[in-house]
Amino acid sequence: MRIRWNSIVTVVAILAVFVLVQVMPAVQAPAGGQRGAGAAAPAPQAPTAGAAAPAQGGGGGRGGGRGGGGRGGAPAAPAGPTPRLPNGKPDLSGHWANPYTNNMAARGSVMDPTKKNADGTYAPLTWDRQGEALADAKGGAKTFDLPYTEWGRKKWADYDVVANGDYAGTCLPFGWSRNINSPHGTQLLQNNDALAFLFEQNTWHTWVPTNPDFKWPKDLPPTWNGTSVGRWDGDTLIIETTGFNGYTRLDTTGHPHSKDVKFISTFLRTDSNTITHTVTVHDPKAYTKDWMNVRTWRLKQPTDVLMEYSCEENNLGLDDGAIVKWKFPETVD
Amino acid sequence: MKKNHGIAVLVGAGLLLASLNAVAHHSVAAEFDTNKKVTFTGTVKKIDWMNPHIYTHVEVKGADGKVIVYRVEGGPPNALYRQGIRPEQLPIGTVVTCTNCSRSKSETSMNVNGRMTLADGKAALGAPGGPGN
Repeated sequence: MRIRWNSIVTVVAILAVFVLVQVMPAVQAPAGGQRGAGAAAPAPQAPTAGAAAPAQGGGGGRGGGRGGGGRGGAPAAPAGPTPRLPNGKPDLSGHWANPYTNNMAARGSVMDPTKKNADGTYAPLTWDRQGEALADAKGGAKTFDLPYTEWGRKKWADYDVVANGDYAGTCLPFGWSRNINSPHGTQLLQNNDALAFLFEQNTWHTWVPTNPDFKWPKDLPPTWNGTSVGRWDGDTLIIETTGFNGYTRLDTTGHPHSKDVKFISTFLRTDSNTITHTVTVHDPKAYTKDWMNVRTWRLKQPTDVLMEYSCEENNLGLDDGAIVKWKFPETVD
Repeated sequence: MKKNHGIAVLVGAGLLLASLNAVAHHSVAAEFDTNKKVTFTGTVKKIDWMNPHIYTHVEVKGADGKVIVYRVEGGPPNALYRQGIRPEQLPIGTVVTCTNCSRSKSETSMNVNGRMTLADGKAALGAPGGPGN
């Protein structure tokens, strides 16, 4: 009886901790925890009251995310109406805790962008061989966790960060997808004509024109972050991003994309404290179907400021050979 | 009976948190061999409060008198700052212990990853590793 009772308590304890960890993105870690917490320590934050927009996987929930935006957590002020630009469109400006998403294919996070429910949520995507093991996987156990084409399946099976390193471990630019997935938060600056993303991750940035009269040069070279163009659909900002150099991965886990991928991102500021963010991966070379993550961004409190981040300054694991230095591939596709 | 329940809770929570740390950041697997463990107690000689991870240099004197300096990898400084953690909270000379910490895959590297604790058992400078990207 004692053994049985202990087993029950253990299971309940594990479940309780699991729930706690899942909730952590919305809760600021308490200041201190060490001897003599600094006087300038950010004040603890209360759990958020939740927002109108539903959250689905891909971020702070089951979608592999935790500690979003450096655990930026809930804002101190109660939510107010959505701020507006002079042109009447929602103003996304602010310092945001975007959910840390190290695995965009985490269980429950892969949605079908073509199946939107009446309540604004999306139905889960289904695909052939879903969840089956990849027999030839290198670098750990892998499954058909996304609707891979044969090209995509091979890229995923061959990814081996231990043997071959990873460009992010070498402090090269993470790229559009991994910048938005990163855990340290993002400052957005917006006016009538453009939106700037200031990623704390490695102090990188990208700029998105939203004025329909703006045209990028047609012969821009491919880049890590790609080239973005924004447009409005009502109050939702839609950003399409293309023009990649083919070196990047979708996430820390290493899910692949081709250089021809198109990301369709949407941003809807549902109140002063909340953004509903979706990202759809359109990459027929790598995936047989378009798929989507849905995430909720929370406004950080004013004391949580954008900070400098230099990946190169003390990357000791790379310097002493513990991390394998990633090499540029001879060809990209 | 109550004591057994407490142990069960702690063991369960510890295992779960350890597993979450392992999957949170790719470089844990890329940089450390989780089958190669080391336990030591030593004094803090220096703290690199730098990106992408902080390192605490811990000087350990072996039974043969030989001195080894391990570098214990911590979280990114920005994330630690937001948790109210400051390098001054771990003064030079403080005695710390690293229990079952993972050694670097490199034979020559003295980098380790794991939970570093103070004499009272509390974590020193926050959780190990943590999300760096």
